[in-house]
Amino acid sequence: MTATTAPPRPTRRAGRRPSAATRSGMWAGILFVLPMLVLFIIFRFVPSLGAVGMSLTDYQLSGDFSVVWFDNYARMAGDEVFHGALITTLVYAAIYVPLVVVVSMATALVLNRLVWGTGFFRGALFLPYVTSFVLAGVIWLWIFATDGLINGLIADAGIDPYPFLTGNQLQVLTSLAVVSAWRGFGYSMLILLAGLKNIPEDLLEAATLDGANATQRFVRVTLPLLRPVVFFVLVIETIAAFQVFDTIYVMTGGGPSRASYSLVYALYDQGFKFFDFGYAAAIGVAIFLIVFLISLIQRGFLDRSNS
Amino acid sequence: MTAMLTRPGTEGRRASEPTLRRRRSSIRPGTILVAAVLAFGTVVPFLAVFILALSPEGARTIPFQLPQEWTLDNLIAVLSARNFLRWTANTAIYSIVSVVLVLITAAMAGYAFAKKRFPGREIVFWSFLATLMVPTQATIIPLFVLVAKLEGIDTFWGLIVPTLANSQAVFLMRQFIMGLPDELFEAAKIDGAREWTIFWRIVLPLTTPILATLGIFVFLWHWNDFLWPLIIAQTDEMRTLTVGLASLNQEAVSQARLMAAAAITVIPCLLVFAVLQRYIVNSVAASGIKG
Repeated sequence: MTATTAPPRPTRRAGRRPSAATRSGMWAGILFVLPMLVLFIIFRFVPSLGAVGMSLTDYQLSGDFSVVWFDNYARMAGDEVFHGALITTLVYAAIYVPLVVVVSMATALVLNRLVWGTGFFRGALFLPYVTSFVLAGVIWLWIFATDGLINGLIADAGIDPYPFLTGNQLQVLTSLAVVSAWRGFGYSMLILLAGLKNIPEDLLEAATLDGANATQRFVRVTLPLLRPVVFFVLVIETIAAFQVFDTIYVMTGGGPSRASYSLVYALYDQGFKFFDFGYAAAIGVAIFLIVFLISLIQRGFLDRSNS
Repeated sequence: MTAMLTRPGTEGRRASEPTLRRRRSSIRPGTILVAAVLAFGTVVPFLAVFILALSPEGARTIPFQLPQEWTLDNLIAVLSARNFLRWTANTAIYSIVSVVLVLITAAMAGYAFAKKRFPGREIVFWSFLATLMVPTQATIIPLFVLVAKLEGIDTFWGLIVPTLANSQAVFLMRQFIMGLPDELFEAAKIDGAREWTIFWRIVLPLTTPILATLGIFVFLWHWNDFLWPLIIAQTDEMRTLTVGLASLNQEAVSQARLMAAAAITVIPCLLVFAVLQRYIVNSVAASGIKG
């Protein structure tokens, strides 16, 4: 993201023995970090290790458990429901990520071209981002339902209703991806807009003078310069896609017949419906590994395209 | 360039010249039109929520039309039903207390990471940042079991405290405080100020802009949070608005009542956004906070 190098400090010389003042500064430093460090140890580090540990047990609601080693993972390998959830999430990501990147790129380009009303339009387009996925789900249920807004309009035109949330997997996941993208594109839009603002104007003007049209300017000048920013957006949106839950919970409940049953939904069910904490923890570890792997692959692409 | 070679008024003007000039003078009506269509798509759904909330129950809403008469019945009914006010209070407590605690602890840690030297400083800082790689959902089962063991289910502390370890907040505070000149702190020390005084009198006042930005985001994240409150709040009295709205959505409440509930949940977000819009939008571009 941003470089984390400290500015050079002229006041500190190398090789100075720590004075009393520095020592007191050291204790102050430790004490000031302490509250956050305690929070991190208890609520981040311990659960991270706990997830791995718990996934090797058959941890129950009662707190009883015995170590079963890789049984949960073996079960996962043969679990049709888990496979379905994995495929569902992959298909959803394949729809959501391109959609949200294209929408945020298009809106960023429009905002970048604006010379009037920039503040207003930027705010208006960012608006859904400050609301919850639950609210987005409630609004879009009213729009997408069988007796909803869109189907009401096309029924008046004499066309059969479209099964936005009741059809096959592709139809349902596309509808959900639209809702998530509508709620979520604002952040990527602003990141891309900041990137566009950093592109030197004279490069584009030179391209114009060389007779490049708008499309050529975008493909040949803007996109190559924007590549790192686009990759950053790709990575964060991919990670977001694999964490999809709220919208599904509100709009389809994982249905119809598991068409929208995502990985996090499977984890939620195993943990809080069947109270099979060991297996749910293993699904959590799997989600982490998938997200980590995808970040690595995308990182590799980024490094290769930069070299 | 070439425009300078041709005398003004001659026919040799290049086609690109007017476009270059237009970039600075005209307001590009085409772009404004496209932006207006896009903004229509993001703003109108919210207007629809409010219009539906103010329509009488059972009024025809498909195809969408303005109600014959406006009514506050739905809002009153929702607010007086069950635990709705309680949910609102819970959400406010969850959000506001989290904001205050995150800001204080993150500012303290950021100050130490930026201006203090102590053994293990870098390792601790990078281990904080490393947690960004772990999605919340991956650790939510052990986290739930841990909070359950500490008897935090259905309590405010169980809801709030596990969400305070926020590496983005620490990272941003550290970056910002690094930019403050060391002389400030040294001068204060020479004047005999204690660390705690320096923190409250120098660090916090000087980091107000970043504290405000972070505060807005932490508030919105908590106000809109869903999965964590869903599993920690197991009784109806402890629910937050998002969880309550999702539960109303599953029950057979009328469209008008559901939209009234939705309207109430979103009002604080819209207020925060309306007042601080420019601020939020600029800060995302500058710092890359991710919700």
